[in-house]
Amino acid sequence: MLKNYLKIAFKVFLRRKFFTFISLFAISLTLVVLMVATALIDHIFGPMPPENKRDRTLGVFYAEMSGSRGSRGGNAGYAFLDRYVRNLPQTDKVSVFSWFSQVNSYRGGEPIKLWLKHTDGAFWEILEFEFLEGGPFTADDDRNANFVAVINEATRRKFFNDRPAVGQTIEADGQRFTVVGVVANVPFFRILPFADIWTPMGTAKLRSDRAELVGNHLAMILARDAADIPAIKSEFQARLSQVEFPDPKQFNRFDSAAETFFEFTSRLFGTTDGKAQPQRLLAGLIIAAILFMILPTVNLINLNISRIMERASEIGVRKAFGASSRTLVGQFIVESVLLSIIGGAIGFALSHLTLRALTGSGLIPYADFQLNYRIFLYGLATAIFFGLFSGVYPAWKMSRLHPVAALNGSVQGGRR
Amino acid sequence: MIKHLIKLVWNRKRGNFLIAVEIFFSFLALFAVIVQVVYHSENYRQPLGFSYENVWNIEIDMKQTSDDYFSPEQLETVRQLYLALRQFDEIETAAGAHTPPFSFGGSSGAIELNGRDVRYRRNEVTDDFDKVFGVRLAGGRWFSKEDDGAAWRPTVINQRVAREMFGDEDPVGKRLPGDEGPTETRVIGVVTDFRHGSEFDDTENLLLSRVKLDDPKNRPPRNLLIKLRPGATREFEEKLVARLQGVAKQWSFAVEPLIERREEKLQQRLIPVIVVGVVASFLMIMVALGLTGVLWQNVTQRTREIGLRRAKGATARRIHRQILAELLIITTAALIAGVALVAQFPLLDIIGSISGKVYAISIVVSLAMIYALTMACGLYPSWMATKVQPAEALHYE
Repeated sequence: MLKNYLKIAFKVFLRRKFFTFISLFAISLTLVVLMVATALIDHIFGPMPPENKRDRTLGVFYAEMSGSRGSRGGNAGYAFLDRYVRNLPQTDKVSVFSWFSQVNSYRGGEPIKLWLKHTDGAFWEILEFEFLEGGPFTADDDRNANFVAVINEATRRKFFNDRPAVGQTIEADGQRFTVVGVVANVPFFRILPFADIWTPMGTAKLRSDRAELVGNHLAMILARDAADIPAIKSEFQARLSQVEFPDPKQFNRFDSAAETFFEFTSRLFGTTDGKAQPQRLLAGLIIAAILFMILPTVNLINLNISRIMERASEIGVRKAFGASSRTLVGQFIVESVLLSIIGGAIGFALSHLTLRALTGSGLIPYADFQLNYRIFLYGLATAIFFGLFSGVYPAWKMSRLHPVAALNGSVQGGRR
Repeated sequence: MIKHLIKLVWNRKRGNFLIAVEIFFSFLALFAVIVQVVYHSENYRQPLGFSYENVWNIEIDMKQTSDDYFSPEQLETVRQLYLALRQFDEIETAAGAHTPPFSFGGSSGAIELNGRDVRYRRNEVTDDFDKVFGVRLAGGRWFSKEDDGAAWRPTVINQRVAREMFGDEDPVGKRLPGDEGPTETRVIGVVTDFRHGSEFDDTENLLLSRVKLDDPKNRPPRNLLIKLRPGATREFEEKLVARLQGVAKQWSFAVEPLIERREEKLQQRLIPVIVVGVVASFLMIMVALGLTGVLWQNVTQRTREIGLRRAKGATARRIHRQILAELLIITTAALIAGVALVAQFPLLDIIGSISGKVYAISIVVSLAMIYALTMACGLYPSWMATKVQPAEALHYE
C-alpha cells in the first residue's frame, strides 16, 4: 500500500513541478536556517575535542561575594579555588587556571595580539588537546616557574610561518617563552580550553592576585565518574558557607557553582535560589525555533491545501469507489511527509555548504563548523514533524469533500 | 463595489483566512527586521560628535579585578606613564579616560528627576580629553586648572542632558539635580552630543567628571588615549609599549588604533542585523513563491466564475482589478491585525530605547513592503485570470 502511495506521490510531484519546487524550496530553506542554528549551538555546548570528557567535567565560571553594603563579582579568585575547590572529594583531577587576557607581541615591528592563559599542569591532563608537535608543560614547570609555552596552530603560523616551533622562543607581554608544544586551534566560545598561548601560572607577572577570593581565575573539575557529579556539586555548595572572609564586615556571603557551560549560560534566563535552570535555556531555544517555524508552516499548509484541492476529481473517484476518509488522510500525510523528507535532504546538503562557507569566512576565529549525526537526527525529526503538521489540516479538509461535488468539479477551494 | 468584493472574500473565508494568517506573520517577521534597520540607519545619520583619526587607545591592565579598588601608587604610576607619553615626538596630545570610545560596556548611573529616572553614561577624563577628540563646546568651558582646589566637583554634560535636566535654562554654573552628596557637583560646561558608543548607537546622556593625575583621591584612568601626529605608523607601537613596560613592569598594555576599535564595534552591531535580515529575506522569498502558487490555484478553481463574468460582458481589465482588489482586502485585514499587535509593544514598554519616530517609520515601511509583495504575487495569477475564455470556462471540468 505504502509503495503505491509513494508511487502516486512521485507522479504528482512531477506533474505539478511548480508547486513541488515551491514546497521543496520552502522546506529546505527553513531546515537550513534551523540546522545551521543547531550546528552553532552544538558547536558551543556539545562535546568536542579537547573537551572529550564533558560528561564528567564541571567548570567554575563565576563567583560573587556580597555583604550589606554591596557586592563584588566576576570570575573566582585563586585563593578560593585553591583552598576550597582543589581538594574536593570524589574528583579525579582539578585544574585552576586564569581567564584569558589579550597581550601584545611583535614580529619585526608588526603587532600581533595573542590571548594568553596561565594554567597549571592538571589542565593538560583533563583536556585532551591534539598536539601537532611537542607536548604539554607539567606541574613541575608550573612550580619552578619555567618560561615555557604551548601555542596554537594559528600562532605558529603568525610567528614561524608553519615551520616547526618546538624549541624556538616567542615573546609575549614582554616575557620570553620557549615553545614546548603546538596544539590545534580551539574556538573562542570554548572558554575553558581557549587561548592562543598557554603558559605556566608560575610565570604570571603579578602574584598578589593569588590572595583574592574573587578574581580572574577559573577551575575545571574532573569527576571520577559521571555518577559522582551531583555529590560534587552539593559538596561544592556546602563549602561556600565555610569561606573565610578577610573582612567579614564588608562581605560575608559567597556565591559560586560547579556546573556545565550550558548550566552557566542558562543563568542569563534567571535562577531559582541561586541554582541554574538549564531547562529554561532549553525552553527558550525551543520557543525561538517554534516562533521561527510559524511562518514557514502556515505557508506550507496553504500550499498543501492548494495542491490537494487541485486533485478534487481524483479524490472524488477514490471516494466513490469506497476509500474511507481515513485511508485518504493517510495517503496525503504520507505524501506531505515524503515531500518534507526530500526537502530535508536538500536542506541538509545546503546546510553543509553554508557551514563550510561560514567556517571559511573566518568570521568566528578558529571555528570549524561541522554537521554531525546529532544535527542530522534533529534535522530529520524537524522535517518529519514539519511534514506531519502541515499535512494534517489539508488532508482532513480534503477528506470531507463530498464525492459528488468533487466529481462534477463544483468544488470551490475552501468553500465549506 | 467594495461591499460586493468583501462579500466575495467572505464567501471563501476559510482559504482566505489562512492566506491572511500568512500575511500577518510575514508582516511581523518583516517588521522585526525593519525596526532594526531603521533604528541603525537613523542613528548613522546623526553626527558622531568627535574625531577619532590618528587616535590610539592604550588599555592598561593593572592586574586587578575591580575598578572600585585603587591605590595612590597606581595613580602615581599612571601619572608616570602619562609623562612618558608626553616625551614622544610622535604624540601630539595624550589624555586619560575611564572608558574609551567604541567600548562595549562602561559605567552608567541614574538620577531621579521629577519622579522618573534619568539614565546616563558616566566617564572620567583628564583635562586634555577634548583636545584628543576635538570635542566641541556648546556652552561654558572645558575642565582646566581653574578647577583645582574648587570646593565643588566640576562636571561637563552633553546637550541632551542639558535638555533633559535643565530644560531651556542655561545649565552652566548650576548644581546637578538629584545630587545630594556632601560635595556639590556643578556643571561647568556643555558639549555637543557625541556618541561614545559608535555611529550605530543611540545618542546617550553623558556626564563627564574630571580626573586629576596628581590628586590621590582620584581613581586612576584605565585607558590612555593618544593623538598621533600625521604619518605615524603601526611600527611605533612596539617602541611605545616597550617604554610603558619600562615604567610599569607588572602591568600589561593593549594598544589599539580607534579605527580598529570602531570597525569591531560596528561589526558587532551589524552582524546580528545582517543575520536576521538574511533569514527574513529568505522567508519573504518563500512567502512570495507560496502566495503566488496559492493565488494561481485559486484562480484556476474559479475559472467558471470568471468565465461567467466574462460572458456577461466584464472586460479583462475588470477581472484583473477584481482579483487584485480581493487580495488587497485580505492583505488589509491581515495588516490591521498586525499593526494592532505591533502597536501594543510601545504601550507595554517592551522596546526600550527605540524612539516613537523610528517605530512609526518602521511600521509604514513594513506596510508598504507587504502591500508591494502581495500585489506582486497577485499580478501573474490575475493576468492568468484575464486569459480565461468564457466559452471554454463554462464547460470546464
